[in-house]
Amino acid sequence: MHIHDCMKSHVFFIPSTASISEAAAVFVKRHVGLLPVIDDQGKPIGVLRLADLLSLELPDFVNLIADVEFVHDFGAVETTRPEPELLARPVTSLMKPVMTVEEDSGLLRAYALMLQHDLMDMPVVNAKGELVGIVSRVDIGTAVLSIWPTERKSP
Amino acid sequence: MILAAILASIIFLVSLVLIFTEKINRTIVGIAGAALMVGLGKLLGFYSESQAVAAVDFNTLGLLLGMMILVALLEPTGFFQYLAVWAGRVSKGHPVRLLVLLGTVTTVVSMFLDNVTTVILIAPVTILICEILGISPAPFLLAEALLSDTGGVATLVGDPPNVLIGSAAGLSFIDFLIYALPIVLVTWLTALFLLRYLFRRELAIKPRNMKAVMKLNPAEVFEDRKTARRVLIVLGGAILLFFVSHFLHISPAFVALSAAGVALVWIRPDVKKMLEHIEWSVLIFFAGLFVMVGGLEAAGVFEALVRLLEHANAIPPVLFGVIIIWVVAGLSAIVDNIPITIAMIPVIQGLGAAGMDIGPLWWALAFGAGFGGNGTIVGSTANIVVATLSEKTRTPITSKLWNKRGLPVMLATCAVATILYILVFPLFPR
Repeated sequence: MHIHDCMKSHVFFIPSTASISEAAAVFVKRHVGLLPVIDDQGKPIGVLRLADLLSLELPDFVNLIADVEFVHDFGAVETTRPEPELLARPVTSLMKPVMTVEEDSGLLRAYALMLQHDLMDMPVVNAKGELVGIVSRVDIGTAVLSIWPTERKSP
Repeated sequence: MILAAILASIIFLVSLVLIFTEKINRTIVGIAGAALMVGLGKLLGFYSESQAVAAVDFNTLGLLLGMMILVALLEPTGFFQYLAVWAGRVSKGHPVRLLVLLGTVTTVVSMFLDNVTTVILIAPVTILICEILGISPAPFLLAEALLSDTGGVATLVGDPPNVLIGSAAGLSFIDFLIYALPIVLVTWLTALFLLRYLFRRELAIKPRNMKAVMKLNPAEVFEDRKTARRVLIVLGGAILLFFVSHFLHISPAFVALSAAGVALVWIRPDVKKMLEHIEWSVLIFFAGLFVMVGGLEAAGVFEALVRLLEHANAIPPVLFGVIIIWVVAGLSAIVDNIPITIAMIPVIQGLGAAGMDIGPLWWALAFGAGFGGNGTIVGSTANIVVATLSEKTRTPITSKLWNKRGLPVMLATCAVATILYILVFPLFPR
């Protein structure tokens, strides 16, 4: 079994020319956690995570104070929205380097890569480097379990 | 002997330049410079190992180490964060009240404990309070650094230059309360009102959500009350002993190290973890500088310098003190005030040996070194800490902002200190 057999081939993505607010609209519409950013040749050049967008709104103190449990009300933070100028910036200013897997890769190799790089989803590319799908840890994990040997019934 | 003096001076000056330009870490410069000085001294026969050891002021090092241990024990308890959250609640979210309260808390704590640690622990909570209020933290961070630096001048243990001066001049804890505290109090209030004025526009913005601050519970950040109570009791005892140490003929270092000993026995912390909180680099840097300055003295540099300054007696003593305030303040604004203080001490001692009345000059040195640091971001470690922290926020403190808000505070505090210095000059002990 290869990645090709367990990936989702209907993949949502955003072009590198999109703005951050355009990307946000795609996240809302598609209800996903990660979008590959592709160039005009259809090759992924980066990824944008939901968390990257949320970091624009998260207050600074969250990174400075180890445990925010004692802060029972985030007050003004809850109603502070990012500046429109910030949201007009291109997605390329916020995206992270992409880590892809080839569609003919084995399942365990892909899973190990995700584990070591702390990824939940990974874009899948063909031999030409074009985006052909996306695969999650759950996709790979359940595919692996499905081919486990079944328990032999004792006679 | 001329050769020894010249070579020793070169070692010291090159070390100072390296420290000032931050080309090499100051602790490395301290060790290497000290080794070079002893090597040169042995080669030319003016300085020996035993003289080098004798040159280290263990009273300063012991006092610093003792206080560092108390801070290291108090740091993980959440006491500092507790105070900041408490200040936030008491202010009820009013910006001006918050500025005064946070500034006061930071100052009072740093009069007795290391102000760098105080600022490191209080600044993140300050950013938190400002963010949930919906206001910029920059004025509050700047005020904490400036006010704690200013307030630290008031006590013997408030900042390292005072520890050095107190040790060299034999000034007691009470001397500082009599001769420094009143002047610092007026200077501190000047700084506070000036900050209130300079940030009048930022402080006039009404916070969007004042209720959120009231939901912060100080008790929840105070993680280890038991340990904190023990450290504070020991610290209180140490402060009482500082008051009477002069009459009991015990050194402040003995008081501080005894307090550290009592606290350690009482709390019995994980020693390895506790020692990680001690700023060894500072202690080693001090020791290195002491050895270097001892070499200068042995080589006869200060004798020559004082002979050069013989005409200084012609300058009125008040004017001489004022010159020291401003020269030391100017230098402290652009570089670390510790090497400046350590280098100035033998000069003043030399002037004393030459017959000048140096009693008042010690206070000029303390005021210059203390207030001068307010001038720039690199003027004091507390300034660097708040500026670095603010870079992680959406409203970073830039050099430009500091020039507009911090520099006026330095100039005003030095001016006020100068006026008061001139007024009380006749009262200073000789």
